[in-house]
Parts: sequence; C-alpha cells; structure tokens
Amino acid sequence: MKCKHIKVKFPDFLIGELEDISKKEIQEHVSTCFSCREELESLSEIWTKLGVLPQEQPSDSLRSRFYGMLNAYKQGLEQEKVKPRVHKLRGGWLTHWWPRQPVFQVTFSLALLLVGLTAGYLLNLNGKKVYEVASLRQEVQGMRQTLAVSLLEQSSPTERLRGVGLSYRMEKPNKKIIQSLLDILNNDSNVNVRLAAVDALYLFHENPTVKEGLIQSLSRQTSPLIQVSLIDLMVNMRERRAIESLKELIQDEKLNPDVKNHAEQGIQQLTY
Amino acid sequence: MNSTTDNQLMEEVKEGKVERLAILFERHQVPLYNFFLRLTGNRGTSEDLVQDVFFRILKYRSTYRGESKFTVWMYQIARNAHIDHLRKRKEEIPLEEQWDEASSREPGPSESVEQLQDIALLQQALAKLPLKKREVLVLSRFQNLKYKEIAELFDCHIGTVKAHVHRATKELGKIYFELSGGMVS
Repeated sequence: MKCKHIKVKFPDFLIGELEDISKKEIQEHVSTCFSCREELESLSEIWTKLGVLPQEQPSDSLRSRFYGMLNAYKQGLEQEKVKPRVHKLRGGWLTHWWPRQPVFQVTFSLALLLVGLTAGYLLNLNGKKVYEVASLRQEVQGMRQTLAVSLLEQSSPTERLRGVGLSYRMEKPNKKIIQSLLDILNNDSNVNVRLAAVDALYLFHENPTVKEGLIQSLSRQTSPLIQVSLIDLMVNMRERRAIESLKELIQDEKLNPDVKNHAEQGIQQLTY
Repeated sequence: MNSTTDNQLMEEVKEGKVERLAILFERHQVPLYNFFLRLTGNRGTSEDLVQDVFFRILKYRSTYRGESKFTVWMYQIARNAHIDHLRKRKEEIPLEEQWDEASSREPGPSESVEQLQDIALLQQALAKLPLKKREVLVLSRFQNLKYKEIAELFDCHIGTVKAHVHRATKELGKIYFELSGGMVS
C-alpha cells in the first residue's frame, strides 16, 4: 500500500516540483524498499538522459514563409474592409435610381449595356485599344507572378505544386519567383514539389541565376529521383561547367548505384 | 519584465492587429518546431506543421478564449495539425526509419561519437512509443508545460497525465535499454 502511495509522487519528483515533506517521504521509503528505489533510479536516469537531445533550429525558409503568409492574410483583410463601403454606396444613391419593377429593371440594364457598348466602340476608334490590351496583359502577368509567389510559400504541398504550375506559364518570371523555385528545389520537404520545380526551372535555364542555381543544387540533393532529373537536365543544357559537380557527386560513397551510373554517362556525354 | 504577454498579444491578433502574430511566431517557432521534430522525426514536415499552426491561429483567431494560457491553446492546435497530417499521409513510414535522415546531421563541435549514438538511440526509442505517450512525455520534458496545463490540453484529470508520464518514462527506459543491447552506460 505504501509503495503505491509513493509511486504516485514520482512524476512530480522528475520535474522537481515536490514539497520538501514529500521528498523526504520518498527518500525514507526508498532507503528501505528495493523495488521502489530501483524504479525511481531508472526513471530518473532516462529522464535526465533525454536532456542530451539537442534543440534544433528550423531553416530560414520557415521564417520567410511565415511572413509571406502573414502579409497575404493582412492584404486579404484589408480588401475585405473595402467591400462593405461598396455595399453602403449601393444602399445610398443607387437605390434612388434603380427601378423597382422587374420589367423596368431589364430595360434599364439593356440601356446601360448599350451605353457601354457605344462607349467601348468610340474608345476603340481613338486607337487606344492596342495600348490598353498591352497594359492589361502586363497587369495580368504581374498578378499571376504575385499569386505564384504566394502559392509557392504555402504550407500545403498541393498549393505549392499549383504555384510551380503557374510559374510554368510565365513568359518572363521575376527574380522572386526564380528564387522561390530554387528555394523549393533545395529545401522543400515534398519530393513531388521539388521535382516539379526542376521541370519549371528547366524552362528558364537561359537565365544565368537559374543555371548557376541548378548546378549548385546538385550537391545538395539526397533523393535519387531529383539527382537523376538534375543530371538529365545538365546534359540537355549542354552545360560543361556541371562536369565538376558530377565528378564530385560520384565520389560520394553513399550514392545510389543507379544515380552513379547516370552521372557517369552524363559526364561522358558532356565531355565528348 | 515589460514585454507584452502571449495572451495580450493574442487578444490583439483576435481584434484584428494580425501583424502582432509576428512576435508570437518569433517566441514560439523554435520550441514548436522541436515539438514536431520529436513527434515526426522529419525536419521538412516539422517546418510545414509550424507554418500550418500559425496559419490556423490566424484562421481561428476569433475562437481564442483568453481564460487559458496561450501556449495551451497553441499546442491544442499543434496536436490537431499533427493528427491531420498523419491522416493525410498516404503511405505510413515508420518513425524510426524517418529518423535515419535526421540523425545523419552534422555533429556539433562538442558532441562525441558516443553522444551522437546516444542521441540516435534515444530518438529511435522515442519513435517507438505510442503517439499519446510520446506527446505527453515531450510536452512535459521538453516544452515546459505543467501537468495541469497538459491535463487541460488533453481534457483529462491531472492524475491521468501524471500516470501517463510515469508509464511513458518507464516504457521509454525499457525500449532504450533493449535498443542499446542491454548495456546502459
């Protein structure tokens, strides 16, 4: 009975939160009870041993992803704040103008449509069309880039894949997208996302930053899938500077034999 | 100590000053990351989960009730995020296999070979514990949560938490002993 009463106090003993009186009680008991002493000793030993597990630091990408998410959320909130004002506006002057009968509503809408079409036609005559289409295209491109960057920073792999998919369709991706894609290639936890990033980056391999990033990335990869697709990419790019990185790679004793074969073939293809 | 408490900051986030979440992130990202690392054994997954937790904090900020400590609420969200992650993961990779990658990290200058072996063994042993026991042990040993707070988190009696800690530590010791070939230094 006494043992049961003492053992209940062990968890508090481990974290050092025990009153002196209870501590003394335990000490007195274990000095005579062998089994309780043995149990307390082994509990304390493993509890203390756990202290050798190091506290690790997350990578820098966690911080940048968090701030990307926070900014996107803030922007979303600000846009929502603008919306109610539009409602108020509609509730104000528009209600005076808007007819109550459905028949008149339809007529009114058609009239508005006609006005719109005529205005559009007139604007077109002024020769502004080409300019407007160009600036619109630029705007869409800009929006697409912003969206892609924010998707690339999401926590869900599916969203990040969507971000990579969107990057494919860019004619000229900006620096931020290129950097995000390279970050993903080097740090993303999901192999599918990393693979998609390799494909997307291949499309922009003319860009010197991308070329350099891809060559450097080879030594950082551990997944055979990624290693093989990077090797193929180097060969396709006819990038002779990659030979050094490939030679370094095959020195690694832990390297998957298939990857090693592939790298050796790659070196041959690039050399001759 | 003139710094704003976690609870005050979270109240501000709840009221719409979402940028105040940055301070909470800076305070808790490392412990939270290590919490997930001890549960999952995978660095990338742990970072994804930390990001997920802070996203959920924003999303559900209106449900925050200041009665309990902010960290209790945060770990509640963290546990849910981890459970959802386990559900979503299609192929179940045993935790002890995942740790292989993690334990091959660069040793620190002060870490001897024996110490590194010890770390790897402890990680393997921890991975073999059932999830709930692992959670309770990690929360009390590494995350500095009081038994009372863990009880609140698990919605159970404080006595149950203590019993869990007792059993989990005992079991961990046993597994560790077996893994080290019955020779404990």
